[in-house]
Amino acid sequence: MPGSLLSVRGLSKEFGGVKAIQSVDMDLVEGVVTALVGPNGAGKTTLFNLICGHISPDAGEVQLAGRPIRGERPHTIARLGIARSFQDLRLFGRMSVRDNVLSALEPTAWLWQPGGRRAARARLHKTEAALERTGLSALAGARAVDLSYAETKFLSLARILVTEARIWLLDEPASGLDPVSRARFVALLKEAVAAGVTVCLIEHNLDIVTELADRIAFLDRGRKLAEGEPAAILRDPELIAIYFGEPRR
Amino acid sequence: MTAYLLNLATLATIFGILAASLNVLIGYAGIFSVAHAVFFGVGAYAGAQVALNLVPDVLLASLAGGLLSGLLSLCLALPALRVRGEYFVAASLGLQMLVVTVFSEAHSLTGGHGGLVGIPPASLLGIDVSSPWHFLAVCVGALALSLVWIAILMRGGFGRGLMAIRDSESAAEALGKNVPALKTIAVAIGCSLAGVAGTLFAFQLAFINVESFTLEQSVLLMAMVIIGGAGTLLGPLVGTLLLLLLPAALSFIPFIPATEIGTVQQLVYGLAMTLLMIFRPAGLAAPSTGRR
Repeated sequence: MPGSLLSVRGLSKEFGGVKAIQSVDMDLVEGVVTALVGPNGAGKTTLFNLICGHISPDAGEVQLAGRPIRGERPHTIARLGIARSFQDLRLFGRMSVRDNVLSALEPTAWLWQPGGRRAARARLHKTEAALERTGLSALAGARAVDLSYAETKFLSLARILVTEARIWLLDEPASGLDPVSRARFVALLKEAVAAGVTVCLIEHNLDIVTELADRIAFLDRGRKLAEGEPAAILRDPELIAIYFGEPRR
Repeated sequence: MTAYLLNLATLATIFGILAASLNVLIGYAGIFSVAHAVFFGVGAYAGAQVALNLVPDVLLASLAGGLLSGLLSLCLALPALRVRGEYFVAASLGLQMLVVTVFSEAHSLTGGHGGLVGIPPASLLGIDVSSPWHFLAVCVGALALSLVWIAILMRGGFGRGLMAIRDSESAAEALGKNVPALKTIAVAIGCSLAGVAGTLFAFQLAFINVESFTLEQSVLLMAMVIIGGAGTLLGPLVGTLLLLLLPAALSFIPFIPATEIGTVQQLVYGLAMTLLMIFRPAGLAAPSTGRR
């Protein structure tokens, strides 16, 4: 597909006889927000895990800007510019809010990060800017485990935001947020997209999907059933019936 | 009496280094090893061999002990990279049992069950440091250097990387952390420090055998770290002082008959550990309050 930054072709994964992902094709186009929609167990999170290298696919290819990344380790894929969030957030609970964000800027495993004090100051500056944008500056010294639910969601976003990754894969990033926090969250995502970030999000809240997404890919039982403009997908009675769990033919 | 207290203080300092080194694995990297006494032992045997066969220089012997322990720690790092949590505990248990058998059987290197005897008094760059006061000063210096080294590492990006892995390995990977590399380096640092502690231990006792490097010792070390506060700089020291000095303190209580001291120690240990885990589960030195 023209402008495709991330391309998935024929991706498949089976877990002990359960076909979690079946020959899925998908393209993430630069600057476009794609929503993965589907009922629980459709394979949405598994697709993220396959793209990011947390799980090895049985078949298929994943390319980032034309470069095959299937089989690469998750940290290599992250360093190539794909950032992801987790449904259960997986914050570094015993670390401070600031350190949660700062650690996202320190990928090297050497005892000291490269670049000396100047680079360290730059990383700290970026961290403070990310905390400012997500409204967490006042909580920079607090432990992540002591944050409220909404604050943890924003911290998860701040960790991704600071990486300056080109592609964000967000797994239910705004679930459970109150309307005010949700609006703030959506505004931050829109800002990132306007700055050129390519977003793919898994989301059950269809209001957020319609507000944010340019395209929807509909998954069910590991298969991609449809892909297109949100209005068209969300008007399809068969897909809606699947989504809301109505009896299938 | 002074000699007894100096010996106790020196041992507490050596075990302080040892607990601090295990804290790098357990407290910062989240690697729950029950094989740490193995690396204590490797350092002790290596240091003792240097002292017996080359020169009784505590610096040279410590370097040899630390280096060899660090290199052999790759045996621990390999399973640490492949398995996590309780599976790694089982893997390290296997390593502990395997190496203790090697310690017992490799007579030419370890002296077998009889151990290595007659380890010569320590010197440091040609200066005799074998007197109790001097050797205590050497051990305190080694402890201070170890703590400073750990503090510097853990305050920086390397430490944050380890703690990120400890709290969520998959999220750390997703943020670009090279988990295998970080874990391997953490294990090498922790085990090489354990090797240094082992060398100091060999000089202090002038005799070592396999009894000091068994699973019981590894479990005691783990208890020192957890009771004191895993993931804190001073926690392991607090745990060491408590678990090492408490038995000694109990023996001074006049109304406990000498024959019953062992039983009372077990009772006090059991009660203290249970109460600590209820009221201070993160350890004595860990911060107890959150934001809310």
